[in-house]
Amino acid sequence: MPMKVKTIGYFFTQALKSILRNFWMSLASVATVAVSLIILGAFILLTANTNYIAQAVEQDVEIAVFLYVDTPENKVKALGDKLEDISGVDSVELIPKEEGLRQLSKQFGEEHDLVSALGGENPLPDYYIVKAEEPQQVSTIVKEIEKLPHVEKVNYGQGVVEKLFSITRWIRIGGIVVVAVLAACTVFLIAVTIRLTVYARRKEVNIMKSVGATNWFIRWPFLLEGIFLGFFGALIASTVLYFSYIIFLDKITAAMSFLPIQRDLSILKNVALVVLPSGPLIGFLGSFLSLQRYLKI
Amino acid sequence: MIKLLNVTKVYPNGVRALQDITLTIEKGEFVFLVGPSGAGKSTLIKLLFREESPTYGHVLIAGKNIARLRKSQIPILRRNIGVVFQDFRLLEDRTAFENVSFAMEVLEHSKKEIQQRVHHVLNLVGLKDRIHCYPHQLSGGEQQRVAIARAIVNRPHILVADEPTGNLDPETSKEILKLLIDINRSGTTVIMATHEWSLVNRANNRVIALDKGKLVSDGEKVLFAHEG
Repeated sequence: MPMKVKTIGYFFTQALKSILRNFWMSLASVATVAVSLIILGAFILLTANTNYIAQAVEQDVEIAVFLYVDTPENKVKALGDKLEDISGVDSVELIPKEEGLRQLSKQFGEEHDLVSALGGENPLPDYYIVKAEEPQQVSTIVKEIEKLPHVEKVNYGQGVVEKLFSITRWIRIGGIVVVAVLAACTVFLIAVTIRLTVYARRKEVNIMKSVGATNWFIRWPFLLEGIFLGFFGALIASTVLYFSYIIFLDKITAAMSFLPIQRDLSILKNVALVVLPSGPLIGFLGSFLSLQRYLKI
Repeated sequence: MIKLLNVTKVYPNGVRALQDITLTIEKGEFVFLVGPSGAGKSTLIKLLFREESPTYGHVLIAGKNIARLRKSQIPILRRNIGVVFQDFRLLEDRTAFENVSFAMEVLEHSKKEIQQRVHHVLNLVGLKDRIHCYPHQLSGGEQQRVAIARAIVNRPHILVADEPTGNLDPETSKEILKLLIDINRSGTTVIMATHEWSLVNRANNRVIALDKGKLVSDGEKVLFAHEG
């Protein structure tokens, strides 16, 4: 039987009427959908940002190559050439021991005369700062450097990056668990709401069945009701997420300007692309489950 | 048109509502289904429009075993069977007209067709002047007429009525019976379950008598006299 335009109108009217009839229950469902989706969105934003921070940190990874203190000057220069020859190395910069000492005394503060405290001697080694072309190459470059002569120690920030990525992973896993539990609760609450609707309209449903309305004809208004509830919830969640993130960006920029945060608002578009369809989907699922159970057709 | 072959119905709670019923109802017949309450009349009627399925045996309508119908075909079967209940089952928040038109709306008929046919059937059941009344503004007999109008508005071949006069006084009951007989004369097969023998005795129709789920008599005349 082809579905007529008039029929679709009838489905929509019935669904909306039903939402208004069970106003408080509908409101509770919409609110639950909204809360679940806000948390889902918040986890997406959190994961995206930790990923972003990890990447930013990774980009900045420098390899510090410390030489033995007693390395003669010509050997230092020769090592610099060898470092530049390693494949994947972007830049090599020599920090002579004098420069190192200057930086150190700056860190200790003007009131400490570090040089005289050390008895006029400079105990620091020369070191090279090596930057990689690609962050992934850092560990292979480090291995190469360690084979070179006069190299005492190689430092690099790999550990930090690995830690950040593992934090991101845990946030993602935690997020999936929390969101799954919340989604299940939301589906359940919508199922209860639709069950109330089915109960309120059981007489109508029985008459429809007895005169031979098709099962889909009977189902659609209820399914639409669930979809609407989910959609309204998703709409609220998207709005709340949008404004909260903008406010959050403002505050975080003022408080911790050094933190690399996703300032690109296209991330919000991606969040909306997940959140907006999730609401109606949850609503559909909830009412479908309810109908299977309570609308014996 | 309707054939029951060795039909037995046992409900999940163990109640044996029908036992080995075999009968045939031809097209255009008017059949009374009589028996005390609990005899299995309602169960037999529910089997006809596939509200229930037989535990054993077969129910054939127009040659089709309706137990074998796919779920999607059940609505098609039900469009061919109008049903009237003892408690009318009208929607309280709708007028007589809307109650009847509802049955056509859910089958997606055009507005024009609905207007015409609803007026026609409400006229037929004698409610021409009451079409915009709500159920609570109508008498019991009038409400049952609305229910009958709703049952026939989609032009079913079969009309089943389960104790349609059970809530009505004797005078009104006679009028409802007369209406059902009129509907039968226009070609619809009518099956009416009742325990009111006074109604059955008024008409010379086929009477199928059930007792404790068994077929006890089937014939033109009432073969045994009962009180009540």
